[in-house]
Amino acid sequence: MIHNAQLIKQGAEAKVYLAPFCQRQAIIKERFAKAYRHPTLDKKLTSRRVVQEARCLNRCQKALIDTPTVYMVDLENSLIYMEYIEGISVREFLVTAEGETPEAQSRVAKEIGTALGKMHNIEVVHGDLTTSNLMMRKETGGSVVLIDFGLSYVSNLIEDKAVDLYVLERAFTSTHPNTEVMFAQILEAYGESSKAAKLILKKLEDVRMRGRKRSMLG
Amino acid sequence: MESFPIDTLPSVGDIHLACFTGVRNAADLKERLQVQDKSLTFAMVESNLIMDVFQILLAATKAAQDNESGKLKTQTLSSEIVYNLSPTNNIAESLKRFGITEDTTSLIAVKIGGDPDEVLEDMSNTVDGNLISFSKLDQEKDMEKLRKFYKIDPKVTDDKAILNWIIGGIAMKNVQ
Ligand SMILES: Nc1ncnc2c1ncn2[C@@H]1O[C@H](COP(=O)(O)OP(=O)(O)OP(=O)(O)O)[C@@H](O)[C@H]1O
Repeated sequence: MIHNAQLIKQGAEAKVYLAPFCQRQAIIKERFAKAYRHPTLDKKLTSRRVVQEARCLNRCQKALIDTPTVYMVDLENSLIYMEYIEGISVREFLVTAEGETPEAQSRVAKEIGTALGKMHNIEVVHGDLTTSNLMMRKETGGSVVLIDFGLSYVSNLIEDKAVDLYVLERAFTSTHPNTEVMFAQILEAYGESSKAAKLILKKLEDVRMRGRKRSMLG
Repeated sequence: MESFPIDTLPSVGDIHLACFTGVRNAADLKERLQVQDKSLTFAMVESNLIMDVFQILLAATKAAQDNESGKLKTQTLSSEIVYNLSPTNNIAESLKRFGITEDTTSLIAVKIGGDPDEVLEDMSNTVDGNLISFSKLDQEKDMEKLRKFYKIDPKVTDDKAILNWIIGGIAMKNVQ
C-alpha cells in the first residue's frame, strides 16, 4: 500500500508518512478508525473525514491560500497523498534567533492573519490552529503555509470562525511566552483580509470571556 | 523512452513514457482508437497539454490503482490514463480534450507495465514520428486550453502554481 515510507507522525486518528510518489517526495496521511466505534459506521465516518480534509485543502488552493497541493485521495484505504512542504513550523521558528526578533514576528504575523482571513472568507474553518500547523516554506525563504486540515469543515458561522481564532490564541499563550504583540498583529492583518472581521473579532471577545469563566470554575 | 516506478503498486511494473514530435500518422492512429483496435496497447496524449511529467505520472498512477481495485471508469487502462488527466467526470469530453486528434503532430505515448524494450519497439513501430526524450519536449504549451480545461484562476500566473492547480484538479476528480 505505502512503499518505502518513513513514518513521521503517529497520532490518535492518523499516521503521517513521507514517501516517494511520482518522482517527488509526498506526505501521505492515513486515517484510521477509532477502535471503539461501530466498524461499518466507522468506515463511513473515516471516509467522510478524508473527503472533507481533501476538499478543504483544495478549496483553499483555489482561493490562492498557500496549502499543500492534494496529489491523490485513496478512499479505499483512507489515504491522502499531498505535497511535502519543506521547511519548519512557526512553533519551531519562534525559538530560533531570527524568530525571536520583532521584525520577523511581525512579518510572519501579517502573513498568518492574511491567510486566515482569506480562509474564513471562503467559509473554511480549520478546526485545529496551532503554531505546529502553520509552516514556513524553505523554498520561498519562509512564507506561511497552512497545514493539517484534519479537523476542518465548511461553515459560515461567525462563532465557528471566532473559536478558530481563539484556539490559535490559546496555542500562542500556552506555548510561546511574550507573543502578545505578535498575536495582536495577526488579528490586525486578519481584520484587513477577513470580510466579516468586525463581527468575528467581537465574537472572539465573547469566546474569550466564556473561556475565562470556564477556567475560573475549574 | 523513460520508465518510472509506480510507487503505490511496484509489482504492476513501470510507467513507460515516449514523446514523439513531427508525427505523420495521427489520422490513422485516431481511426484505430475509434474502432477500439486491440493491437493499440498504449495511451496517446496531446503533448501541448502536459505541463510536467508529474501530471502524466499521476494520471497513470491513479489509473493503475483503479485497475487494481476493479474500478476503471472507462473501457481500458489506456483510456483511463487519458480520462484521468481531465478534472471533470465527463468521459467523452475528457478523452476528446486530452487524447490525440487527426491533426496532432506531437504526442506522448504512455504504457503501464511490460518489458521496456518491447514497449519501446511497439511504440516506435506504431507512431510515425521522431522519438525524443521527455526533457527535450520544450514545445509551447497550449495555455489557453489548459486554463479552460482546468478552470485556472486568471490570477494564477507562475508555472509552478499553474501546475499545482492542475494537479489538484486531477487529484480531486474522484472526490468532487
Ligand atoms: N504537507 C506537509 N508537509 C510537511 N510536513 C507535514 C505535512 N503535513 C503534515 N506534516 C508534518 O506531520 C505532522 C503531523 O501532520 P498532521 O498535523 O496533518 O497530522 P495529525 O496532527 O496527526 O492529524 P489530525 O490533526 O488530523 O489528527 C505535522 O505537524 C507536520 O510536521
